[in-house]
Amino acid sequence: MSEVRELPLVEAIREAYRQEMERDERVFMVGQDIAGGIFPHTKGLVEQFGTDRIVDTPLAEIGMYGTAFGAAMEGFRPIVDFMFAGFFLNAASPILAQTAQFRFIHGSQMSLPMVITGACGAGMRLGNEHAMLVHNMIAQVPGIKVCMPSTPYDAKGLMTAAIRDDNPVAFIWHLGTMMDRGPVPEEPYVVPLGVAEVKREGGDVTLVANGFQYKNAQIVADKLAGEISVEIIDPRTFSPLDIDTILKSLEKTGRLVVVDESWESRSTASEIAAQVVDRGFDLLDAPIRRVTIPNIPLPGGHMEPYVAPNPDAIEAAVRDVCR
Amino acid sequence: MALGKEQMKLLYRNLVRADHFDKMMMNRIMQGKLIGFYHPGDGAMAAGVGASTFLGDNDILNPHHRAHGLGYAAGRGVDVGRYLAEHTGKVDGCCGGRSSFHWSFPEKKMYGASGFIGWHFCPVVGWGWACKRKGNQMVLMASGDGSYGQGGAHEAMLFAMNWKLPIVFFCENNGMAIHSTISDMHPMPDISSLAQGYGMPAVVIDGQDVFAVAETVIAAREHALAGKGPTFVEAKTLRLREHDVGTPDLARAEPREAAYLEELKKRDPVVLATTRVLAEKVLTRKQIDKIYQEAKEEVAAIEKFADESPVAQPSIEELLAGVYVA
Ligand SMILES: Cc1ncc(C[n+]2csc(CCOP(=O)(O)OP(=O)(O)O)c2C)c(N)n1
Ligand SMILES: [Mg+2]
Repeated sequence: MSEVRELPLVEAIREAYRQEMERDERVFMVGQDIAGGIFPHTKGLVEQFGTDRIVDTPLAEIGMYGTAFGAAMEGFRPIVDFMFAGFFLNAASPILAQTAQFRFIHGSQMSLPMVITGACGAGMRLGNEHAMLVHNMIAQVPGIKVCMPSTPYDAKGLMTAAIRDDNPVAFIWHLGTMMDRGPVPEEPYVVPLGVAEVKREGGDVTLVANGFQYKNAQIVADKLAGEISVEIIDPRTFSPLDIDTILKSLEKTGRLVVVDESWESRSTASEIAAQVVDRGFDLLDAPIRRVTIPNIPLPGGHMEPYVAPNPDAIEAAVRDVCR
Repeated sequence: MALGKEQMKLLYRNLVRADHFDKMMMNRIMQGKLIGFYHPGDGAMAAGVGASTFLGDNDILNPHHRAHGLGYAAGRGVDVGRYLAEHTGKVDGCCGGRSSFHWSFPEKKMYGASGFIGWHFCPVVGWGWACKRKGNQMVLMASGDGSYGQGGAHEAMLFAMNWKLPIVFFCENNGMAIHSTISDMHPMPDISSLAQGYGMPAVVIDGQDVFAVAETVIAAREHALAGKGPTFVEAKTLRLREHDVGTPDLARAEPREAAYLEELKKRDPVVLATTRVLAEKVLTRKQIDKIYQEAKEEVAAIEKFADESPVAQPSIEELLAGVYVA
């Protein structure tokens, strides 16, 4: 077996763009400054595909998104890059009120295949708007899928799946994982949307985490090894949510901690907790703990490290449910 | 209306101060002594100084994001020590160290900033509406050429003109937005051409000339306070460096040409202003040296204040208490 090459996460995303654009003429990218690139995920693409398929727009999120929205109806398969994922909010009404609900309300007659993407996450100390993880805001609306990779392998596979999916898919990625390296097969492959993965097996507690928080979960699991055996589940997709994989793990562990880099209230962590109580109440040996951002706009300055989920907070929650 | 000598002296002093503030921020980000990012104003500090120096105390001032608004802060007399303490996450920061670049001095009617370029096109309507109702106050809303891509810009101009709101749309056109050039983004080279469709008076001026900017804004302010409505002021300026420190300096995907950037440096607003104040005998060489010396001392005091202030790390309970009015 040949050794699998390693790539940084950002290059894994780019490889998915490149391969899918080579594979399918209808795929194109639209965004601000993507030819030059603010983040390296689009580096070199304009040289290969030209400005018809790497489309720079004025500083106008609605027009930029509109390029994708309308073109998708006309048979193209756009990828819209919002640079920072939070900037999607400038186009929130066409995305959440129209795109997501469009197919259903018009009699399920057409599809809107497109990918909405952007970087996000605590770590740059810039404050709420740049850091904001938007997965929960989007995931509340039926008709749009939402995912976020934790590893370079998943980044390429999820992006490929998102581009090939006939639904609108929001693919957000965390800046704290951008340069993480990991094995990425060269050939195109898909990580299916809506399928979680057990990324570390353990017997005492189920720890759900993804994106940058997946790394924090691994740090905690390593630290507790020998004392508490932690099973880590990466949901990978927030909507649709794969609750079965979590329930199956709980049959073994009976204890659940969910990490979500988002506000405590109405988060994916809340959703998972609710579904587990609905469908797996009898599996639980302890209350469910959520490790989230308290209901505070994420401050910049020196406050991110303790306001956002972090290894200490995760460890405390794990210890708490394992008492 | 020509400026008086005292006005010119004040403008010159504020320009030198603003230039020193910008260089301070550049030095600090290079040394890792600033939180987040910095978008240098190098060579483009005159527009903000000229636009802000002669506003009334009740006028609302929205700074441009470039140089994180320092030209406007200098003109307005903002406490730059507290501004820097904010940018370094300190307890004496103007927002308690939690905002990074979202600085705010509500008592100076500089309400705040956002990471969303063009965010101000929404509240500017209400700023203008409130100023009109209260009377004898106006709004100076600054932003860049790129920001006029936002649809909200058109809503703001529509409302402002329909209701004759006392607003100056002050556009710093540096011909760039990150890697995009003006010709990539706008069909017309003058952003102020947008105002025509609304019948809004518009002027294009040299944004490198701090005196010309001030004269124009004083006139536009009088127009607004007289109940005649908004004016669009387009100050042509330039960008000498990369968009923000550390980002490559590209036009689309190609590096910007060194020869072109060298050409731009000849339009340094401090050099232009110095030539003029000397020629018109507004200031002597000795007085200018003193202004430079004082600016240096001011920067030293600002940095000392910010550096000596403790790191702000309030508890979660304290932060929660800041979310809602009790
Ligand atoms: C809504 C939104 N879209 C995109 C960005 C990314 N961005 C930050 S500054 C900038 C360019 C701004 O250009 P301009 O208004 O001309 O000001 P300049 O930087 O040239 O001074 C862009 C696109 C942003 N911050 N907010
Ligand atoms: Mg610009």
